[in-house]
Amino acid sequence: MTRAREVDGHRYDVIVVGAGMAGTLVAKRLGDQGWRVLVLEAGTKTLNTWPGHLDAMNTFYSSLIKVPNAPYRANTAAPSPSVLDTLPAKDGHGYRSVGYLVQDGPLPYGTDYLRADGGTGMHWLGLTPRMLPQDFKVRTEFGYGRDWPIGYDDLQHYYCEAEREIGVAGDTAEQAEAIGLPFPEGYVFPMHEIPSSYLDRVLARELDGKSVLDRYTQQQVELQVVNTPHGRNSTPNQAYDGGRGFRPESAAGLPNYGERCVGNSSCTPICPVQAKYNPLKTQERWNRKVTLVDRAVVSRVLVADNGRITGVEYQAYDDPGTPVATTHTVEADIVVVAAHAIETARLLLASEVANSSDQVGRNLMDHPVMLTWGLMPGQIGPFRGPGSTSGFEKFRMGDSRKKHAPWRLVIANWGWTWAAGSPGSDVADLLGIPDSPFKPRGKAVYGNQLRERLGDRIGRQVAFQFELEQDAQPGNRVTIDPRYRDALGNCRPILNYDLSDHVKKGMRAALDVSHQIFQLLGADERTAYPSDAPSYFQYDGAGYTFQGAGHGCGTHVMGDHRHNSVVDQWQRSWDHANLYLVGCGSMPSIGTSNPSLTMAALALRSVEKIHHDLMDLHRPLVLRPTPVPGYAQPREA
Amino acid sequence: MTTGVPLTPTALASAAMPEAPPPALPDRDVERFVELSVALTGFDAFDLHGTGMARFYLRTVLDQIGDQPYHDFETALEQAGLDPEKLQGEVAQDLARAIAHLWYLGVWPPLSATVHAELRRQVANTGFTASPEAYVQGLVWSAFHGHPQGAKAPGFGTWAAPPPGAPELPPPGRHRRQAGDGR
Ligand SMILES: Cc1cc2nc3c(=O)[nH]c(=O)nc-3n(C[C@H](O)[C@H](O)[C@H](O)COP(=O)(O)OP(=O)(O)OC[C@H]3O[C@@H](n4cnc5c(N)ncnc54)[C@H](O)[C@@H]3O)c2cc1C
Repeated sequence: MTRAREVDGHRYDVIVVGAGMAGTLVAKRLGDQGWRVLVLEAGTKTLNTWPGHLDAMNTFYSSLIKVPNAPYRANTAAPSPSVLDTLPAKDGHGYRSVGYLVQDGPLPYGTDYLRADGGTGMHWLGLTPRMLPQDFKVRTEFGYGRDWPIGYDDLQHYYCEAEREIGVAGDTAEQAEAIGLPFPEGYVFPMHEIPSSYLDRVLARELDGKSVLDRYTQQQVELQVVNTPHGRNSTPNQAYDGGRGFRPESAAGLPNYGERCVGNSSCTPICPVQAKYNPLKTQERWNRKVTLVDRAVVSRVLVADNGRITGVEYQAYDDPGTPVATTHTVEADIVVVAAHAIETARLLLASEVANSSDQVGRNLMDHPVMLTWGLMPGQIGPFRGPGSTSGFEKFRMGDSRKKHAPWRLVIANWGWTWAAGSPGSDVADLLGIPDSPFKPRGKAVYGNQLRERLGDRIGRQVAFQFELEQDAQPGNRVTIDPRYRDALGNCRPILNYDLSDHVKKGMRAALDVSHQIFQLLGADERTAYPSDAPSYFQYDGAGYTFQGAGHGCGTHVMGDHRHNSVVDQWQRSWDHANLYLVGCGSMPSIGTSNPSLTMAALALRSVEKIHHDLMDLHRPLVLRPTPVPGYAQPREA
Repeated sequence: MTTGVPLTPTALASAAMPEAPPPALPDRDVERFVELSVALTGFDAFDLHGTGMARFYLRTVLDQIGDQPYHDFETALEQAGLDPEKLQGEVAQDLARAIAHLWYLGVWPPLSATVHAELRRQVANTGFTASPEAYVQGLVWSAFHGHPQGAKAPGFGTWAAPPPGAPELPPPGRHRRQAGDGR
């Protein structure tokens, strides 16, 4: 194991900052191509052994509130935000933010990320829908947000590659038919789809073929339950890769384990068997050209007078509890920053690089999630299987986008866990235990009555997640201020976050759709948006609350002009030809797809450019070619 | 110099081991605790013993509220004919809530502030998961025929199966239409 201080003063072909999903994939491909890669990771490497994983499992079991970061140990040298940091304001109006993120915007950015080896991909849910072709040109087509300098066709090949690296399970035929996604001739995902939950089946039986009205367009939208692609091990598809099939990746640190999802129903915050993709699985396949150093917080990207990046400065520490750090530098021909949308922006601002456009940190986007929930007439088997297995997809597309933000209507398999803290809140409620010891207690029910009422209530819980597209707004931004620093003296991210009227109008339309769906289901709708919730706002006469999805994007936006964007279509800094900023921060618009698959595709696309840059710098060089998968020659299934 | 306290071997031993484990709880105390817990939870003694948590939960309760208040609670619940809803007094009622909560979620909850004060508890009035295993053994999951999230995984594809009493259903989408029973 290489320790952080040992690489001081060394020189590499490439330095990758951050061992999350993006950085790990970049390092994998560049290592395979023979380049010497150093990956500097701010967090600890405790999760990539099986005992470390089991420790995280126990921390998860013990935690009182099972939020996404619950299984992972706190680290004061490389702090992470938590969803528990966003609290109601003391006067009951608005929010206050008490953790690592400094927030002073109109609405809270109420979501987290994880700074540990593997990054946020340790606790992602693992849904991997592609973006729609129309998502890449929202400005031209629908008049909001920003267009991409490239389109779906430019990413097609890299989507396929990303689906291989992540190991995607899904049904291409259904994705093509129900959503209109183009795939290469004969292409199938590496694995068959994750089976749709019982709830999905009930909803399909009750709703498929029916329609609901969009209040703003006065158009009927057809309901159809569509299975979602997952980065989660399922049954390999023999027809994949021209009939070569696919071998699912096992757990990091435990070979031949976790090769198929077994229904632990805890993908976020942690998959106990690691059937869900996480970057540590890719790290196990890194070759010896790649060196990972943890406990190395990159504090500056170093630039020479001629504008070339020379390397980075980093802080090495030993104890994440009481950090004492020493400062070091390391050099490389190319630096790739892949530290997460918010942290990459923070680092660039602190380094005063790459920002001649004044766009660094701006255009911060997420998918604001509006939850609605109710009780079905009968038992639907909640809290089983992955967090979501299907959705209603028609709200993502079409001319309604000119009127309001589109959304993915995600069917939640875990009852009211996100909406209302079930099942703990149900138990407390029936026992008459309020949320504070100072509030009066209610009447309790016990014995069989308690058991039966809990079974009846929880067993009928249904919830929907309306995940709205957020449009790029320059005012939604990450900044820094030397007055706000972490324990190592690094500037903390300051966020200013708000929702545009386009998004708010989307929520209005979505709430209407939700009411109609509950009515069609004969369900008892229980949605409630308390006015003292941190994210509460009013729009057009109604009150709303929303959650963050954890999909931070846009902060080093890609474009076709150096004046108004931070990176070019290769995620290369306009200002520094040997600096790449890789991650969701490059995305100019995010559609209604969870962003990581698209991020991975972009990362793999950048690798080709980086490889060419390095070839130019280093020729002659003997290279080992990477095998090209034969998607074009499918075998009859 | 004298301390005024005779230095006996026992005093020395306990001074050297302030965290000495308490003596094992007699089986009959555990049995009694489970009987009361049956009335509180609606799960039978077989199920409660089957969690493997009974002795540990009794220990947790005693640590949280002390022996005498627990014995008073036992007596009160017996006098109420093992019907927790007939319990009189704020203390007994709140302890019933807390013990049921512990069984259902593996979490000891904060008591009501007045009950906490009345019991003169030596510990902070905060909620906590009794142990990692306590979460996994929570009764709430089986109350709705589920499994604890993150444990006791039921196997690939089991989430497609109907809960008890509900009909089997075909998968949505393509397969369903191909199967020819779509609407
Ligand atoms: C609860 C939740 C659920 C999600 N579910 C999904 C989903 O279902 N589908 C989907 O597509 N997306 C999902 N996401 C989003 C997904 O997790 C992110 O898009 C993805 O992890 C981003 O990858 P990344 O490599 O850019 O950043 P990260 O995964 O955050 O990795 C960044 C890495 O850089 C390191 N780092 C940071 N600062 C420094 C520094 N100064 N020096 C050195 N290293 C540094 C960090 O420690 C970390 O390891 C979810 C997110 C959350 C929060």
